[in-house]
Amino acid sequence: MNLFREVWQSIVRRDPLSTDKGKSELVFHNVWLHIHPAKVKKENLRFRYTFYLGFITFFLFLILLTTGIALMFYYRPYPPVAYQDMKDLQFVVFMGSFLRAMHRWAAHAMVVCVFLHMCRVFYTASYKKPRQFNWVVGVLLLLLTLGLSFTGYLLPWDQLAYWAITVGTNIGSYAPIIGGQLREILLGGHTVGEAALIRFYVLHVAILPSLVILLTIVHFWRIRKDGGLSRPLWKLKAKKTEALVTIGAPADVAPLKTVAASQDKTYGLMEVVTGKPIFETITPEEEEDAVFSYPYAFFREAIALMVTVTSIMAISLYFHAPLEEMANPAKTPNPAKAPWYFLGLQELVSHSALLGGVVAPALMVLALLAIPYFDRNPSRRPGDRKWAIWLFTIFVVANLVLIVIGTFFRGPGWAFVPPWVHVVARAE
Amino acid sequence: MNRRAFLSWGAAGFVTLCSGVAVSLGAVVRFLVPDVFYEPPQVFKIGNPADFPYGPPTFLTDEKIFVFRDRDRGFAVASAVCTHLGCTVAYFQSDHHFHCPCHGSVFGPNGRVLHGPAPRPLNWFEVTMTRDGQLRVDKDKTVPSSYRLMV
Repeated sequence: MNLFREVWQSIVRRDPLSTDKGKSELVFHNVWLHIHPAKVKKENLRFRYTFYLGFITFFLFLILLTTGIALMFYYRPYPPVAYQDMKDLQFVVFMGSFLRAMHRWAAHAMVVCVFLHMCRVFYTASYKKPRQFNWVVGVLLLLLTLGLSFTGYLLPWDQLAYWAITVGTNIGSYAPIIGGQLREILLGGHTVGEAALIRFYVLHVAILPSLVILLTIVHFWRIRKDGGLSRPLWKLKAKKTEALVTIGAPADVAPLKTVAASQDKTYGLMEVVTGKPIFETITPEEEEDAVFSYPYAFFREAIALMVTVTSIMAISLYFHAPLEEMANPAKTPNPAKAPWYFLGLQELVSHSALLGGVVAPALMVLALLAIPYFDRNPSRRPGDRKWAIWLFTIFVVANLVLIVIGTFFRGPGWAFVPPWVHVVARAE
Repeated sequence: MNRRAFLSWGAAGFVTLCSGVAVSLGAVVRFLVPDVFYEPPQVFKIGNPADFPYGPPTFLTDEKIFVFRDRDRGFAVASAVCTHLGCTVAYFQSDHHFHCPCHGSVFGPNGRVLHGPAPRPLNWFEVTMTRDGQLRVDKDKTVPSSYRLMV
């Protein structure tokens, strides 16, 4: 038994978890957990401040990685074999259809959660100094999520896949000057064919996931370096709120107080340099308001992970991922619709391919990226930022309305058809 | 090594490094541009004139073209690829128009845009007769919609 204990001790190398030292060592002696601080502020654990959307998004990404790798064992990216492999996954492979459904619904859920996470960060004004750059990283992660969805869409090689990618890549070709070449490089040809399938496959399973992992690391790292999650204003006393409101602002803020370390605490000091910190600092009374990550934060994360995984599994038991007939370049289905999160784009494109498909999305992305630098208002109080909240709400509502119109109000030939009217496509 | 030599060698080295990186990046982009396309040819034979009926156009699925044959005016070939976003249009015998299912573009009998977001009329391709009496279509050569091959 002593040998087992020795082996275990050699792995964990920490004091018992009943002690404060053990609780902190659990975090910072562990490469996987040390992304957390040893202690977190109580109010940051509140579900109703963040809705744990960042964590849920990350957990969905983990589901996508695992189910995606599982699917790769049975999928060959070459038409028409690709479609036959999908049929095998659907009907022959043990749990194939379940894994595919999990991959599909987790992908949809990830798009939703990334978007909601962005809304949460905006409405709590958490992108303000010193967190501007992390917002930019977040917007890039949103774009990568959409890119992963788009590239994954072609892989089943069914009618839906073929025509969504035909339309999507043709939108890209409207980009001025480089549009045509961009499409040719992306497709490896002039039409969606075998070259396009292998290119989308490489992007989907290698290049884009790697970029997501790299940027996620930066995203998490910056949360720590910016002083943890932003704190809800309403939880803070008026004085501290004032300090937070003005953090980083050019106003003449009093220099941050230095506090002598108390007797019963041990600090590892790396280096002493002059200058003010760029991250948010906490006062001694706030430190009293913090709790150990173990068990308070880890317990909540574990719950969020379990709820996320079981929800996706439950949905996948009841709803199968759709698979249409094999891609047929000669016959465009009517109506031909992109996945729902691109239907707003398709709605814009149905009015003008250049304005709706290139100019409007490019401006939207640039506006999102510029928000933390354009919004010079240092206040985080909702009352002080009415304009920002209005503009962002209009952006969110406009996107939702376009998606709803594209999803429910467009029938054959992209004609305006209310969802309660049933229309059959006209015969030739 | 004096200061002048250090600076000039340094500058030369920096320029070399930058051009090396630029050339490598260019090579990566060039690598992604395919030199061989495993795609259907742009120039192909579609069969004997007698294979095509008068009246409504014949749709060739693989080539994505409509072959029109008119008793008085001869053959014409129209592209079935919508000029908006590349969906395949359908020819409706009921109104003699081409309808795109993706975003509702409608093209007239001569390919002109009547309705919808399509920016250009449908393409018409050159059709010629080969020595062995077959019709030949060249998708690289667009012609006016009035073009006809009289057989």
